[in-house]
Amino acid sequence: MTLDWNVVWQYRGDLAQGVLLTIALTVATMAIAVPGGIAVMLMRQSHVRAVSFAGTVFVEFFRNVPLILLVYWAFYVLPILTDIQFSAFATGLVAMCLNVSAYNAETFRAGVNSIRKGQLEAAMAMGMSRSQAMRKVVLPQAVRRILPVLASTWVSLFKDTSLVSVIAVGELAHTALQIRSQTFRVLEMLTAMAAIYWLLGYPQAKIVDWIHRKYGVTE
Amino acid sequence: MDFDFSPIVDNWGFLAQGLLITIELSVATIVAATLVGIALGLGRVYGPGWLRVPLTFYVDSMRAIPVLVVLVWTFFAFPLVTGITLPPFWAALAALTLHISAFVSEILRAGLNSIRPGQVRAARALGMSGAQIVRKILFPQAVVRMLPAYGSLLSVTIKDTAIASVIAVPDLMRQSETIAAQNYAPIEVFTTAMLAYFLILFPVTRAVEAFYRRVAHLGRS
Amino acid sequence: MESTAAGLRKNGDQPPVVQYDGVVKRFGSLTVLNGVSARVNKGEVVCLIGPSGSGKSTLLRCTNALEIADGGRVVFEGQPLPKTEGELRHVRQRMGMVFQNFELFPHMTALENVAVGPITILGANPAEARAKAQMLLEKVGLGAKGGNHPSALSGGQQQRVAIARALAMDPDVMLFDEPTSALDPETIGEVLNVMKRLAEEGMTMVVVTHEMSFARRVANWILVFDEGRVIEEGPPAQIFDAPTHARTQSFLSHLGWNG
Ligand SMILES: Nc1ncnc2c1ncn2[C@@H]1O[C@H](COP(=O)(O)OP(=O)(O)O)[C@@H](O)[C@H]1O
Ligand SMILES: [Mg+2]
Repeated sequence: MTLDWNVVWQYRGDLAQGVLLTIALTVATMAIAVPGGIAVMLMRQSHVRAVSFAGTVFVEFFRNVPLILLVYWAFYVLPILTDIQFSAFATGLVAMCLNVSAYNAETFRAGVNSIRKGQLEAAMAMGMSRSQAMRKVVLPQAVRRILPVLASTWVSLFKDTSLVSVIAVGELAHTALQIRSQTFRVLEMLTAMAAIYWLLGYPQAKIVDWIHRKYGVTE
Repeated sequence: MDFDFSPIVDNWGFLAQGLLITIELSVATIVAATLVGIALGLGRVYGPGWLRVPLTFYVDSMRAIPVLVVLVWTFFAFPLVTGITLPPFWAALAALTLHISAFVSEILRAGLNSIRPGQVRAARALGMSGAQIVRKILFPQAVVRMLPAYGSLLSVTIKDTAIASVIAVPDLMRQSETIAAQNYAPIEVFTTAMLAYFLILFPVTRAVEAFYRRVAHLGRS
Repeated sequence: MESTAAGLRKNGDQPPVVQYDGVVKRFGSLTVLNGVSARVNKGEVVCLIGPSGSGKSTLLRCTNALEIADGGRVVFEGQPLPKTEGELRHVRQRMGMVFQNFELFPHMTALENVAVGPITILGANPAEARAKAQMLLEKVGLGAKGGNHPSALSGGQQQRVAIARALAMDPDVMLFDEPTSALDPETIGEVLNVMKRLAEEGMTMVVVTHEMSFARRVANWILVFDEGRVIEEGPPAQIFDAPTHARTQSFLSHLGWNG
């Protein structure tokens, strides 16, 4: 077997674009799924039963279906449901956001619930208003709990962006797989794809470990 | 919008076969990844120094690379390197095990490290050997403490089996794609498939949570 | 001091069970034990008292080699502590240890906690080990609790199970590290009673404690620690009623001890 690693260099422009799209998709998803997660968490805390139920269904459903299936589903359903032609990127973004918002909603809920009620009461007993107590006492503590989980979600999300390749979003995985079928340099391209993901993902995993060490709560 | 669910009714046997493959691949992966992950985790925590470095590198690498990439590499590139072609199911099992076992080892490591040092001191004071302490005292408690994270990982594993459809494993995902394409009924078929996955995953995660609540005290020292 | 003390002490004419010869222990640059010499005779209850951080727990851990002394030596039944981990395990099997936080094994029932040592370490017949464990639980007043997990026991009950667990190995000496410090006041008495009964049966005991009335009533000998040294030792009557060292006096008065 003769290997031709030149092909990786030859297509460096395409691969770089794939990397950029992967990063863009990761950033955009998180940028939407943080407020999205907060919104869903607030829905779940609503006193209107129908709203809190809808929030719970959202979280449980989108956490309990495979993302790759969600991507296909969004690809076929979104245009019919909304009567708008979505780009592949937008479709992938919607599917990712539904999935990650559900996870974030649960992360936020667990983070806020983990702060003992006594903390809020103690702050209010000092004369703080409820919203002051929330902002100054509960939220800073909750953030310490939430941040490590969000960091882990970030890395999962980064890896999961590879799944939108099945609807031809030109991110890294799709780009590499395309080059493979055009050039038949299967081993080279698949290895290069793994290596590029590794180069991007390994430091992220290490940063997550660092965040866990810094903020991690051991009980 | 008119929905036609007849393709699902007409092809239920074909889809049920896919469901069976999904369940088989899930169970096989969970068993294999748990065994390999335990070995990796014990090696990382208690193994000799020269072993810990490569194991940590392996685990962190698996945390960095998407499972799709591992899967595609195992199926398409591995045969080019070794001359061994794996059938899709076995390639998927191998790739998923490589990937998931790294996470099992992480969870086990966290569980072992979270047990307070007094437990080891008490066991040493009784006169136990290192191996006895791990086997009788630390490992059982770590298993209990692992349960919530392990439950999430079970859910991730079952969901990840759907990615095996890209290497043509005839699982529920793949069979659904086939039926959807043949009958031009993607919405009906994919919605049904989503419900089927949900009906497997939701009870599994709930059952692990309920079981954990019952046994949590056994890991609380 | 040794020679004058020997006559005063229980079984002072026999070789000691444990003897400390100038034990030194350092953690990094911190010298925690700075030349401790003392002896524990057969059947004696020796209480270690002194301010927190003075090295009492460390001496106890050096006794069964959970910590290895950096200088001096610990002699157990005439033999200096061995060097290899395998030999040390045999020594530990003959010393029982009770911890401030009980350290029961949470995944085992009370009975399993007591039986696990003999079964796993000594290879005892499981049925016999369980019967003996049941007997020991009865001895500490918990005959009906054998099937409970630690999470279903009060602190005082857990500590009594921990004592039974240590006794199950038939130790020659029992080491107690503040066994009642983590307990609610109302359960301290039940643990101290078990220890008192053990003393009456002739068990050799080394006890780190802040329970001065227990030390006063039950101990045969008191070692007063300060900054890694034994600053004063003697029978309880002497230490509590006529302490000679100024730091002993101030330590006791801090605890509110007034004779
Ligand atoms: N493993 C250790 N590493 C570092 N310092 C320790 C360790 N164990 C104990 N020390 C220190 O040794 C000193 C004596 O501790 P200890 O023997 O527990 O005192 P006591 O039991 O009298 O309260 C303390 O200053 C403590 O911080
Ligand atoms: Mg102490």
